[in-house]
Amino acid sequence: MNSSSIKWLILCLLLANGAPENVAAIDFEKEIEPILQRVCVDCHGPEKQKADIRFDTISPDFLKGGSVDTWHDALNQINLGEMPPAKAKHQLTAGEREVLTEWLNASLNAFATAKRNAGGRVTSRRLTRYEYANTMRDLLGIEYDFSRELPPEPTSPEGFLNNGRTLEMSPTQIETYLAVARQALDIAIVTGAKPEVFSAEASQSATGRLPKKKDGGAIPVNPEFVLDIPDFPRTGEFEIKVAASAKVPDGHGYPKMEVWLGCVPGIIHVPRKLVGEVIVKPLEDQPQTYTFRGRMEDFPQAGKIRFGKNVDFNGVIVMLDFVDAEGKELRYPHKRYASPLPKPKKKGAPVPKLPSPPTKPFPDIEIASVQFVAPSLASWPPPSHLALLNPEHTKLPESERARADLESFIGRAFRRPVSNSEIDPHLQLFAKIRPKSDSYTEAMKETFASVLVSPRFLHLIDTRDDFAIAERLSYLLWSTAPDEKLHALAKQKKLRDPDSLSKETARLMDDDRCSEFINRFADQWFDLDALNRVAVNPEFFPEFDNKLKTAMQTETREVFGEILRGDLSCLELIDSNWTMANRALATHYGLVNRPRSAEFERVALTTEDQRGGILGQGAFLLSNSNGESSHPIKRAVWILDRLLDSPPAPPPPDVPELDPEQADLTGLTLKDQLAAHREKESCRSCHENIDPWGIALENYDATGLFRTVAPIRSGGKKSKVHSPPALDPLTELPDGKKLKGADDLKNFLLNEKRQHFARSLVKRLATYALGRSLDLGDRETIEELTENFESNGFRLRGLIVDLVKSDLFQHSLTRS
Amino acid sequence: MKKPWNINRRTLLRGAGASLALPWLEGMISTASASPISAGSGLPKRLCCVMFPFGVAVPSDKDPARQWGWFPTGEGKDYQLTNVLQPLQPLMDDVSIFSGLSHPRCRTMNGHDTGDTFLTANNLEQGTYRNTISLDQYVAKELGEKTRLSSLTLSTDGGVGPRTRTTTLSYSEKGQPIPALESPKLIFQRLFGQDDASKNNRARLENSGSILDLVLDQSKSLKRNLGKADQMKMEEFETSVRDVEQRVDRAQEWLNIPLPEVDASSIALDANPEAPEEYLTAMYDLLFLAYQTDITRISSFQLGSYGPSRARTFPGILGLDPDWHGLAHKAGKKGGAENIGKFDQFMAGHLARFLQRLKDTPEGDSGSNLLDSTLVLYGSSNSKTHQNVNYPLLLAGGKELGLKHNHFLKFDSKTPMSNLFVTMLQAMNIETESFVDSTGPLNGLS
Repeated sequence: MNSSSIKWLILCLLLANGAPENVAAIDFEKEIEPILQRVCVDCHGPEKQKADIRFDTISPDFLKGGSVDTWHDALNQINLGEMPPAKAKHQLTAGEREVLTEWLNASLNAFATAKRNAGGRVTSRRLTRYEYANTMRDLLGIEYDFSRELPPEPTSPEGFLNNGRTLEMSPTQIETYLAVARQALDIAIVTGAKPEVFSAEASQSATGRLPKKKDGGAIPVNPEFVLDIPDFPRTGEFEIKVAASAKVPDGHGYPKMEVWLGCVPGIIHVPRKLVGEVIVKPLEDQPQTYTFRGRMEDFPQAGKIRFGKNVDFNGVIVMLDFVDAEGKELRYPHKRYASPLPKPKKKGAPVPKLPSPPTKPFPDIEIASVQFVAPSLASWPPPSHLALLNPEHTKLPESERARADLESFIGRAFRRPVSNSEIDPHLQLFAKIRPKSDSYTEAMKETFASVLVSPRFLHLIDTRDDFAIAERLSYLLWSTAPDEKLHALAKQKKLRDPDSLSKETARLMDDDRCSEFINRFADQWFDLDALNRVAVNPEFFPEFDNKLKTAMQTETREVFGEILRGDLSCLELIDSNWTMANRALATHYGLVNRPRSAEFERVALTTEDQRGGILGQGAFLLSNSNGESSHPIKRAVWILDRLLDSPPAPPPPDVPELDPEQADLTGLTLKDQLAAHREKESCRSCHENIDPWGIALENYDATGLFRTVAPIRSGGKKSKVHSPPALDPLTELPDGKKLKGADDLKNFLLNEKRQHFARSLVKRLATYALGRSLDLGDRETIEELTENFESNGFRLRGLIVDLVKSDLFQHSLTRS
Repeated sequence: MKKPWNINRRTLLRGAGASLALPWLEGMISTASASPISAGSGLPKRLCCVMFPFGVAVPSDKDPARQWGWFPTGEGKDYQLTNVLQPLQPLMDDVSIFSGLSHPRCRTMNGHDTGDTFLTANNLEQGTYRNTISLDQYVAKELGEKTRLSSLTLSTDGGVGPRTRTTTLSYSEKGQPIPALESPKLIFQRLFGQDDASKNNRARLENSGSILDLVLDQSKSLKRNLGKADQMKMEEFETSVRDVEQRVDRAQEWLNIPLPEVDASSIALDANPEAPEEYLTAMYDLLFLAYQTDITRISSFQLGSYGPSRARTFPGILGLDPDWHGLAHKAGKKGGAENIGKFDQFMAGHLARFLQRLKDTPEGDSGSNLLDSTLVLYGSSNSKTHQNVNYPLLLAGGKELGLKHNHFLKFDSKTPMSNLFVTMLQAMNIETESFVDSTGPLNGLS
């Protein structure tokens, strides 16, 4: 990653003070080059090329020279006082500093203007995978994962998936769009009479009837309730209704019921997929009925399976698993379908005995009945069919009928009014296909498919009108197409009016669909996906349950959501006296206050908890570890990049990892190992700016647990040292600022870096909202937004409204 | 069992090599007959690449568990297979084993990230995780046009999977992952189901051309109103559409050429990874069938994944720890080498069966067989788990392509695996000087 994630701060302030406009007034060869030669070239020249930069050969032409980012960095470093380094032999004189910064500012300004006018920005982009899935779902009215066949998206330098420049198109992509469109239309449009509805119901678990054979040495599946359905429809929507009640003694958490649908009985890794889950709360003695829906196509169906003696099982099974509030499976050893014997730890060791039935009362879920219905149809043909092929149109001659059916669809698909000249080619396609097709319906399916692979459907196109604003707004907050109301406002050109635009933005933020923004933006800004890239080593953390990773991701998403929905200060992301947790996560953290169920709720933190703010959240701590030990450098880089928007330069190639087995490092704490590493001259210049940010968080281990004792490892294993040293998170930033632990670090961020953080947040938000990387031409607006954001108490809702009203977001209207 | 893909007018084909009337296109027949078919130079050249994750046991020569190490003992012609590769013993005249090779550019990557690069040899660009073209697709560019399917991408998990833990070995010219097929039934349909079995499919294939034309026109008119940078993005869109048009055209050309009849009754098309023995048999059977019928000449098969995978539990079938990753981690522990060694032996058994079937299938008139003009690359991108050096690798087949076998070749850790790629490409008559970071062809194979 190049450091094109630009550091604006000082630059912007200088420009605001009235920067000189005329580059030509300063002669590079006469006035600038000699300064560079005298002060910079020692380290950035023919002898040494620190940070891979040379000032003897760099082009002074910002537009064509390709070095604008280097120049920009140089300006920031000079302004921050970091270059030339304090200990360097040659320092800038006041006069030199002035002329140099003046020239840099003017050149950057000229560059920004030229760039803005050259149309060098990608402002239209294709839909991301998740936007495509949501848009198809909403357009066709079918709950189905339409994106699963699409290749994954590359990440932009800022960490976003929706960047127009990085979003690619490929033949595979196009082929998949066409295949998915056809598949979707085969689902949406039905033929023939209403299919027979299949239904199965049971009040007794079928567990006893399933084969007991062990497969692959694994424990057989042991769901607590099984309904096996020998015959069932392979397509269409299904519905599962479960009547259940719970008994929960005081002091116990509420249990959760998971509903799974799968195909092969008796084997542990049954291809099964979660249909849904629900917290079952004790509500009097009446069983409550819980309903779950899905589409058969989304669930594994292997067909006839042969294993052991069971040759012809061809059915599907509904499985209910019960999980306690901590996330552990509930077992009922006293019931007839007892859990299997635990595996002996070592070969030859005696087989452990079954746990004896608990004497104390414990949470229990009783199932009254389970019902499976498929296809679950409220009406026939289903609404998805009627929306595409309107029965009213059947009276028309076929070509007119095709036009009528297409007209109502294409406008919704393209998210804007569509002219006849745009509809006609699709009708011509229909006319061409129709003679070869068996029916009107078949030909129309293909015609609709052509709409769904059109660039107008697949792209958010900057059409420089109200519809483009509506589109941008709904994809920002809902990750899907505008609804009717928003579309209508665009049609009435109301979105040009700041008041109605504010109101509309607020409406979208209040809507449940705004969870799309909360989740997607939090995932990408904080790189929550990284949780899935870290494998927790069970040798180090035998107690760690991988489901906690999901809980950690949810915590961070929910905290962000709470701040948006509650209109709280974004500084609460840095430090707060609450978090969002469920029982399992609260138990993992060892929080004083714990929710009673697997549902996330706001939890008040106490000082004992040693949490508050994202730096105490598992998502950040675990994903920036290596699954065995904390990783202060990764954590530091994350803070610098994601919170302060000043990522350190990437490591030079061929840098070896710290090897704890190296003779001179064994027996040292991680902090001391890093200190030893910084002794090396080649490492120090970068790492003295990086390491302290992470060392301050050494009180948190790889899985995010608080610790006060420093682990010492040698040979990759935890050392057996009997009295490990107390953990010492004291560290010092290069400017001499001392930080003792997480609280100091948070206070430092809140007091001295709050503007950095605010600007960083504004820039990430704008980058996501615009779907493109920011450039120099955006900096004025970013500054204004940041100032407003600060003066309005760092409230996110206000910032989003401001951003939507800003020229950045509206530029198609204002600059066309 | 009712087989929807069964078509009456096909003639049954039972694996007799020369009589496998290959569905040449007219244009290709002339190309083929233009070159004299001597010494098999006109025989189709094929490639199959198989990778498994997590590496193998690498005990030292003194270790009593050495027999469960993947690599043979000895060196050169004077080598002895350990227990692990024992199933390949009867085939060693057609097999070379390598140690020391790796992708040097991928060394700094996380040990779990290298599956993506097994066939691409490139470091995944930080941040964007951009990959580059894989060996099989590189070959498909040259040879793929000659068959109904230009290549076949398989894996135990299907799709593309998450970045750095992908479930496919194949990457397009632009470095995009190519979705893999995982279900034997779907693979069979992909191979043999594009006949006129489904009138609907046939009509849709014809329609595809018209749909893509329409989309292309729309893109062109749309482009006129866009800024320069946006225009370039639309051009990317158009290039992709044109590419698909070509694929559709080719698929259409094949429409009128009858598919070879195959007897699928012996293949367990319903098998899935929950039953590893049956599943692996079916997957290799399908690969064999694809080559035998010349539906494609290029394939990749990722057996397992560095990420979540249905293949993780495969070792359970042997009564071992049903977590492949855990098994690999424990390879260095007491008894650990034997455990993972047994599983690696199980996989080698499946490979051996596949190679034997290729070898047992005569091709051409000069006593050659399918294996002689097929290159089968097999191995892992870890040596011990998480270590991105010294990949366990072997190459089988290709005698007709000039390769010499029956040796264990040791290389130093500087030698890029890409050198092997260069040798393979050259053997396939694809003029190549280099592949990514190669320093030349690999010594010792010819």
